[in-house]
Amino acid sequence: MSERAGAISDRLAGAVLLVVAVVAWWLSHDYTSGFGQTVGPGAFPRLVSVPLGLLSLYLIVRPGVNQRWPERSALLRQLSLLVLLMVYAGLIQPLGFLPTALLTVTLMIRLFGATWRQALPFGLLLTLGLYLLFEFALGMPLPDMPGLDW
Amino acid sequence: MDLLAQGFAVALEPQHLFLALAGCALGTLIGALPGLGPVNGVALMIPLTFNFSLSATAALILLVSIYYGCMYGGRISSILLNIPGDEPAMMTTLDGFPMAQQGRGGEALGLTGVASFVGALVATVGLVLFAPVLVSFAIRFGPAEYFALFVLAFATIGGVTGGHLAKSFLAACLGLLLGTVGIDAVSSVPRYTFGWYELYDGIDFIVALVGLFAISECLVFLEDSHQGRKPTMILGSALPGVRTAWRCRGSIGRSSVLGFVAGVLPGAGAALGSFLSYTLERRWQGTRGNFGKGDPHGVAAPEAGNNAAAGGALIPMLSLGIPGSGTTAILLALLLSMNITPGPLLFENQPELVWGLVAALFIGNLMLLALNIPLVGLFARVLRAPGWFLMPMVVMVAFVGVYSLGNSAFDLYMMLAFGVLGYVLRKLEIPTVPVVLGLLLGGQMEYNLRRAMSISGGDWSIIWNSGISVGIYLFAMTLLLGGLLFHWLVKWRM
Repeated sequence: MSERAGAISDRLAGAVLLVVAVVAWWLSHDYTSGFGQTVGPGAFPRLVSVPLGLLSLYLIVRPGVNQRWPERSALLRQLSLLVLLMVYAGLIQPLGFLPTALLTVTLMIRLFGATWRQALPFGLLLTLGLYLLFEFALGMPLPDMPGLDW
Repeated sequence: MDLLAQGFAVALEPQHLFLALAGCALGTLIGALPGLGPVNGVALMIPLTFNFSLSATAALILLVSIYYGCMYGGRISSILLNIPGDEPAMMTTLDGFPMAQQGRGGEALGLTGVASFVGALVATVGLVLFAPVLVSFAIRFGPAEYFALFVLAFATIGGVTGGHLAKSFLAACLGLLLGTVGIDAVSSVPRYTFGWYELYDGIDFIVALVGLFAISECLVFLEDSHQGRKPTMILGSALPGVRTAWRCRGSIGRSSVLGFVAGVLPGAGAALGSFLSYTLERRWQGTRGNFGKGDPHGVAAPEAGNNAAAGGALIPMLSLGIPGSGTTAILLALLLSMNITPGPLLFENQPELVWGLVAALFIGNLMLLALNIPLVGLFARVLRAPGWFLMPMVVMVAFVGVYSLGNSAFDLYMMLAFGVLGYVLRKLEIPTVPVVLGLLLGGQMEYNLRRAMSISGGDWSIIWNSGISVGIYLFAMTLLLGGLLFHWLVKWRM
């Protein structure tokens, strides 16, 4: 069963990469320089997109084996991690490091399988530890909380 | 030898000495973390190193110490938990874990500490002897020969390490294509930026690397819940391992040399080093051996082999600028980000960097031996730290490090995207290392191609018109066919 699923995902990956190759090849024709260079900016991408396309075709025709894809619950955990990290990336500038990190780290520890009783103190510990480490020991300034930059 | 003496003067500067020690300790720690191998460890540390505003020599000493440290540390989780940090450490689990189950964990750790030391020492001596030879040969290379060299790097990257050959090449092409994103340096034409000005500078290697390795590792970790995994903690003293190491001196010596050769070959790397060492040793011992059930020879051989290969892999990276493994690719990314192009000119123009690094390797290796025999129990404790604490820490170090590179949230999104890409590629069994290589080497490859073409006035035959480039292409073919043959033999025997 997994063998068959493997063939499908390889074919799918091949199809996606084939599209990438064709688009790359197509777009490379727009990349021309004004003055007479023997090899312009479009040549190398074109040169690469040809084997990329051919190999994708090969992958569609002769797919190999894959690892098993995660189950639904694992997939949900992975998606939550990504969402959490996107929230972090979105909040880091407006809110500053401490509140953003405290929120994401605590939830992340919870996500990686700890209980709330573990997640709350360790989230605080990790956030403060990282803050002290980067801000003071390593001298890398982190974004401050608004209104706190003295 | 004069140069090496100067190198020692550089490496013995207090700052460098401190960085080497810090790197060794940190590397052992990272390597010991289950599931976090040298590639992830070094990738994670790169943005931090970059932010310390260290000199190139100092940064390189720190990272290479971490690299060597990870190679040492990797054995700890292999032996005690049966979880290899990365592919090369896999062979160590075969006899290492049974030894730990028999209560000889301490002995196995002591033994592998010595084996790692000898392997790394042999490789570092080899680096001193052979890198200059390769450099004196490569100094005559023109753009066409360099282009051929890059073709060699890509042709061999998947050939020996395994799997579906087409997938490795596919990954390399994808990397090369990703490498062209951004403003073309020669003509200032923006390519594949789709109007996003954040992409004009191209894809930052460091952001891509941390995503591909560290973030995708966390996604893999989330797949299973990791409950109730208790490390075998009956350690015992590591000191008897030193005596065992003396009994295994033959295995250690043979494996070190074999591993070194495997490491130097482009595209082979540490995984092949430890695999060949283990297999050869099992052959060599024959029926005397107790392989698979905790034979000390079977623990010593792959550890000596993979440490020797790790050192050997530095030779093509430093002297030609083509890395043979994921970790050396990351070191190359660091150098390129600091505007240093490895290759023969590096040896001519910045001997203090090259030889300072080599001397630091000798010193670091001694430090690692000292850290890893008496203090190994301390490092083994890290295995008790739960995954729910370690993984968020990894993610946060990656995020803080990458964010401080450019203070832009865009880099964070980019890193996440590469994390997902890395994860999907891993699931599809498409290797990620060629993607990284393509991303790293694409610029240089294109530049050399265009220079060669402007020398020849647009005549494509310049690519294969010199004896050296034909030689390189032939060498690439031989390695490729050899790799295929090797694969086929392994499959056929099993």
